[in-house]
Amino acid sequence: MRVVVVGGGWAGCAAALQAKKCGADVILIERTDMLLGLGNVGGIMRNNGRYTAAEELIALGADDLFNIIEKCTRHKNIDFPGHKHADLYDVTIIEANVRRYLLSLGVDIKFETRAVDVDIEKNHINAIYLQDGQRIEGDVYIETTGSTGPMGNCIRYGKGCSMCILRCPSYGPRVSLSQRAGVEDILGMRDDGVFGAMSGSCKLDKNSLSEEIRKELDEKGVYITDVPEEDIHPEKLKMKVCQQYALKDFAEKVILLDTGHAKLMTSYYPLENLRKLKGFENVRFIDPYAGGRANSIRYLSMAPRDNTMKVVGLDNLFVGGEKSGLFVGHTEAIATGTLAGYNAVRSVMGLKCIELPPTLAVGDIIKYENEGKNNKNGLTKRYTFAGSEYFERMKNLGLYTTDIEEIRRKVKKLLIDGIFKEKLI
Amino acid sequence: MYRFVECIDAGSDFCPCHLAEKGECIICSQLQNKVFCDCLYWKGTCIYQELLNNGNKAKKNREYKKFDIVSINKIRDDLHLYEVKLTNYLVRELDNFGAFVFIKRPQHPDYFGTPISIMDVDYEKSTVTMLIKIHGVKTKDIVECSENIMLKGPYWNGIQGQRFLRNLKDTNVLILGRGVAASPGVLATRRLKINGNNIKVMLDKGRSQENACTLYYKKYGADVENINIINYKTKNLTDDFVDKIDDLINKEEVPVILTAGDDDFNRLIINYIYKRNNKIYFASVNNHIMCCGEGVCGSCQIKLSGKYIRSCKQQYNPIEYYLMEDGNR
Repeated sequence: MRVVVVGGGWAGCAAALQAKKCGADVILIERTDMLLGLGNVGGIMRNNGRYTAAEELIALGADDLFNIIEKCTRHKNIDFPGHKHADLYDVTIIEANVRRYLLSLGVDIKFETRAVDVDIEKNHINAIYLQDGQRIEGDVYIETTGSTGPMGNCIRYGKGCSMCILRCPSYGPRVSLSQRAGVEDILGMRDDGVFGAMSGSCKLDKNSLSEEIRKELDEKGVYITDVPEEDIHPEKLKMKVCQQYALKDFAEKVILLDTGHAKLMTSYYPLENLRKLKGFENVRFIDPYAGGRANSIRYLSMAPRDNTMKVVGLDNLFVGGEKSGLFVGHTEAIATGTLAGYNAVRSVMGLKCIELPPTLAVGDIIKYENEGKNNKNGLTKRYTFAGSEYFERMKNLGLYTTDIEEIRRKVKKLLIDGIFKEKLI
Repeated sequence: MYRFVECIDAGSDFCPCHLAEKGECIICSQLQNKVFCDCLYWKGTCIYQELLNNGNKAKKNREYKKFDIVSINKIRDDLHLYEVKLTNYLVRELDNFGAFVFIKRPQHPDYFGTPISIMDVDYEKSTVTMLIKIHGVKTKDIVECSENIMLKGPYWNGIQGQRFLRNLKDTNVLILGRGVAASPGVLATRRLKINGNNIKVMLDKGRSQENACTLYYKKYGADVENINIINYKTKNLTDDFVDKIDDLINKEEVPVILTAGDDDFNRLIINYIYKRNNKIYFASVNNHIMCCGEGVCGSCQIKLSGKYIRSCKQQYNPIEYYLMEDGNR
């Protein structure tokens, strides 16, 4: 059985890994020269409800990526405004570690390879086409191309290309394969009715910050200072993807997190203004390169799906990560990607695809997001274990816990402990 | 079959063009009155951004300029070889697969302009060489020029299926040509040789014993053979050619074949070879009638898979064009 995964971000890596663990031959097609996509500039794990979700996935048998992340963690169990017990992984080393792991398992990764079209017959995808016309055939396909960019969308719905880690100009823009297959994309909205949302953080070169700030970041993982009155723009929060970081504190404070770079928790910040802050006199952006002006636009390309992650209207296309909904974050991508990989293999074997139970946060969010997408109000929301409305829901439903033993017991009681470790073929 | 969509001008000095300005861009979905990106062929620039940065206006078109004729060699009454001195910029830009220019006689209106392929370039002399066959009113008019000529360019869509040629390295390429249509193959040979490819050329003798491009192919190190390829009375490939081509495609690996003849020639050859080996990719010279070269006038419009394309700017897969009968395209 051959599983073709398109898009090598966290969701695609999780899907490819899971399909491989299930026993399939897996080909992973990645547009750029690096895996993890926006994961190369992220780094925040286990904050708030993500702790629960990570432990649920580990109990379900999807521990591989979390083990790698653990090894690459710079800071453990830190708090910052609105967020508790976060881990920060080192974005400068994570990709190579994940890449080595996938290669060691025999995942066939095709880098600098852009998928642009599908060969479809009725509702069945026969093959995908690469930009050079090459045809890649599989039994089942998983699209994890994300919903960010490309340049034209960042222009139409944002402030232009900010030269982010996705590097569309160098490797070519992503193409929505589900839309190519005739299934219309769903677009997320902002409160003001505009489509898309802007990425919520940017990275500063740590070496360009003062010694005092660097020291604090190295020791504590967090550095917080006040935003001068004239630079407080709470309206910017509305544009943000990361509603969990769209808190008042994030408008009034400059919050830096040490992820190898200094992660600045705002969408963009004019360089001249940023340099007025004490210790920021020499500062420069490292992602996006034009982080003084703009950031990438996301949620413009989601496929309608069921709760097994199969695309509605197509027989053999599954989705994960942002492609599958208004999810924010690595943990969310790993959760949806893993389920997509698992069910893709099951579907080819003629087995019934599974839904994760709503008594687990990872099952509930997949179901809840799908319900939310059906109305305009839901399209303005973002779904993350880390904050905003969904974390409240987790707490209200009693899904949030940091008690690892309790999570393991719960998963075991559901008789699904270790399912993602099972070889199906 | 995969239908690739490529505009030869995308990302060039002439992009965005009038098509983009009017919401008819060949590549960019945002400039086709859609509100999302669906960029099927990326050449390194975002056309949407380029248009916005250019104040929502097309870039300036190519314009006719007067250039000196360096030499004229009358190979036959109806076959003239022109060497014209151009700017360094134009010579450089015309040193590409499928390069052509529009030329006309000075003082004559633009509708006298006719597309002529570039056969050879010379950086030292800053010249290009073109083989002109007298066909009708425009070419008859041009060959009356002896000192200078009006020329606009560069254009590049003189060869279809260029994507199969561009990245070839250290491999075998077969060029099958006939008549004046074989001339763009010389420039293709030059480009392919730079990448270390072996070029085998079979040229149809036609009315002569030797195709006029033979020496130019040899200059670039191609292995050239003049044979009879087509019997135009019966519209069949000759036995001699069939034996040779069967032998070649059976014995050697030839990933790409460039057919450089008229439409009948290209169609007969591509159909014959594709049925024996469907792994071979084809490039072919572009024989469509062109008047403006900018995708506007519509004279080069053809129908492919039920859709009209402007063949002066848009690339297609020659298999798609020549394998299907006209009615099915």
